Amino acid sequence: MAHILDMHLHSEASDDSRAPVEAYLKWLARKRDERPLEGLVLTEHRQFHAAGDYRDLEDKYGVLILKASEVETDYGHVLVYGVNDDILKRFDFKNVRLPAQEVISEVARMGGIAMPCHPGRPTIGLIEHYGKRPPLEGVTGVEALNGGSKKGENERVAELISQYGYHAFGGSDSHLVSFVGLCATEFDRDIKNMDDLVDALRVGGYRPVDFRSPRPQTQVAPEV
Amino acid sequence: MNTFYFEEIEEGDELPAIDFFLSKDGVRQFAKTAGMYFPRFTDDEGARAEGLPGMIAPGVMSLGLLARMISDWNPAAVVKRIGTTFRSPVLPDRNVHLRGAVTQKNDEDHTAECDIWMENDDGERWVIGTATVVLPVKA
Repeated sequence: MAHILDMHLHSEASDDSRAPVEAYLKWLARKRDERPLEGLVLTEHRQFHAAGDYRDLEDKYGVLILKASEVETDYGHVLVYGVNDDILKRFDFKNVRLPAQEVISEVARMGGIAMPCHPGRPTIGLIEHYGKRPPLEGVTGVEALNGGSKKGENERVAELISQYGYHAFGGSDSHLVSFVGLCATEFDRDIKNMDDLVDALRVGGYRPVDFRSPRPQTQVAPEV
Repeated sequence: MNTFYFEEIEEGDELPAIDFFLSKDGVRQFAKTAGMYFPRFTDDEGARAEGLPGMIAPGVMSLGLLARMISDWNPAAVVKRIGTTFRSPVLPDRNVHLRGAVTQKNDEDHTAECDIWMENDDGERWVIGTATVVLPVKA
């Protein structure tokens, strides 16, 4: 049973992370009170990690583990959920200039859903591209809360959502073990598998949740 | 500073935080000592001419500060590997916060994997990375 999922994180299968999936699960078990997550969606960069089999880890830790992808398009980075053979045949995920409109439309037609991530980020976020070109058709939701965003980025997304009526979700975008689950998505319905997730993302009934603690006041030394 | 043995650390342990003001003079001093006395590391005008928002700290300085956090935590720890990703230029003349945590222990070679990062007052992570450290074992 999973209602709260981290929708965006990278394991050692991505080229810029060294985090083993089991280390994420151990960390979550340790931080259960602060980050009450029930599921993870691994979104490896520019690939679908077909070889990753996490069923034993799901049983051991009682956490749902789903696999998706983060691809790069001419409108910035996009998370693809519900990746299947048809989608992998249609698109070369290694291509860093995938046509975003085709990704959104074709992934939906083939049974998945593609959703822009960290849209407020310069260069690789949707908002910057919307300032120069027509908006994409068929976008249902965007990552409104990203754990790696800088000040102002998530705030810019609120304006985008207000303007286009997109659904909002959240993810940690963790590349380090200790950042897992700091941002996540809460679903009204129980998510048991990828089909449930794709269905839920299409219709709504979810929202970003922020488990980050406010920064405590710290004594700052003049120099080190 | 204490020396910790491999057996005394736990996954989930936090490295003692370091919070300090990163001054422009401190960055200039580092750049001079490291043979990197280039405008981007020494003055705002020169850095802006290169398209930067102002003078920045050299990447190896950030790497060194994060390594220092590890040696402050445990002077007996040997850094076997350290790797960082620079998410944003590190801009001096503001507070900097170094953080870290032990995420994995390997009983076979007595190493620990640590998350390490540098962030600003707003919690924006400028530099993130990991380090593998070798720890002494009890006789």
